[in-house]
Amino acid sequence: MKSNSFWAIIILGGFVGLFFWLRTIDWVGMFNIEQHTRDTEEKLGDLFWEHIGDEGEQITDSLTVAVMDSMVHRLCDANAIPRERIKVHVFRADVVNAFAMPGGHLVVNSALIEDCKSPEQLCGVLAHEIGHIELRHVMSKLVREIGTSVLVNMTMGGGDGGQIGEVVGVLSSKAFDRDMEREADLKAVDYLTVAQIDPHPFADFLYLTGNGESEEAFEWLSTHPSSKERMEYVLEEIGKRQFEVKPLITASTWEKLKEKMGVSDTLSLN
Amino acid sequence: MQKDMNAPLDHESEKASNSYLMSLLALLVGAPLPIINLIATLIFYVGNRRSTYFVRWHCTQALLSQLSVFFLNSYGFWWTLSIVFTDATLTNEYVAYVVTVGLFNVFEFVSTLYTAIEVRKGKHVRWWIIGDIADQLVKEVR
Repeated sequence: MKSNSFWAIIILGGFVGLFFWLRTIDWVGMFNIEQHTRDTEEKLGDLFWEHIGDEGEQITDSLTVAVMDSMVHRLCDANAIPRERIKVHVFRADVVNAFAMPGGHLVVNSALIEDCKSPEQLCGVLAHEIGHIELRHVMSKLVREIGTSVLVNMTMGGGDGGQIGEVVGVLSSKAFDRDMEREADLKAVDYLTVAQIDPHPFADFLYLTGNGESEEAFEWLSTHPSSKERMEYVLEEIGKRQFEVKPLITASTWEKLKEKMGVSDTLSLN
Repeated sequence: MQKDMNAPLDHESEKASNSYLMSLLALLVGAPLPIINLIATLIFYVGNRRSTYFVRWHCTQALLSQLSVFFLNSYGFWWTLSIVFTDATLTNEYVAYVVTVGLFNVFEFVSTLYTAIEVRKGKHVRWWIIGDIADQLVKEVR
């Protein structure tokens, strides 16, 4: 009769050996889990987008679309991000805000564009939000705040309008955690410098808009970590890099874009 | 596994066999919760701690057998919850762990079923390692 320790080693060795052998199999690839995750994100993104699209006024004039597209194109092309993954939408709203949604949807409020002092500042904000999308922060935040089961249920048609609105509220008003914000800020610096866009105005935007302005109007900043702290580590990151800078758009195009933000195409009487 | 010991009385065999069946029934009822079958065998163990040596011994072995898979299942259970409710992702390691633990559970299930049947016939079935621990814990009152 073999001793107990012999059998203990056999059983334990069997368990560990089986586990290590099984983990060499690419289960994630075999069951196409990455693709399913992406599909779920796309479905959620479309669901939220439908909700937001019904709620506000989207600015879709040719100038706004062309300028936003040229900025996103430049960031994506230089950083090997598939352009079709990022879908930018500009909304007419008084709150200075921009936020990313699942499925690569990026919402920018007109007030944020109006508040930017230069196209580079706006591009910095776009780069920051694209950073959140590419680093998969959006889904992480949603899963943490809402839970996977609720989100999957929504993609299967289980969520009502109120619930979807609630989730959109989380996306637009609740901050990512500190580490994620820092990561997205540094990613933005990376994207900007690689795309030969001056990142200094982005640092200025973080600092200037966070000081001396009403916090209520600056949702994008009030939900993020301290502006001064962010500006400091963004400048530190810029200091480590060597890069060339090329202009984004002409001053006149920028002025025209800002004018567009202040003019409503629809007449509101309420 | 080895069989020895003199044949017990019929009611003893039935009770001893039931201690294993308890864990199987509990497994079928509360499959996703690893604690259910452990609690079921624990209740049965407590209820029979003044019973005969044969019954007490098998209740103890049934309890210990559940305890061994309890830790493996619990780890898998919490890992699953972290994937469902937090931002933890489904990885190759997770699937490998679930499959490994699943196979151990099947092995344990079949062994428990076999033991329940044999014990019902009055045979004394000892599990490796666990049988020896049960020997240490359960003393025959003379």
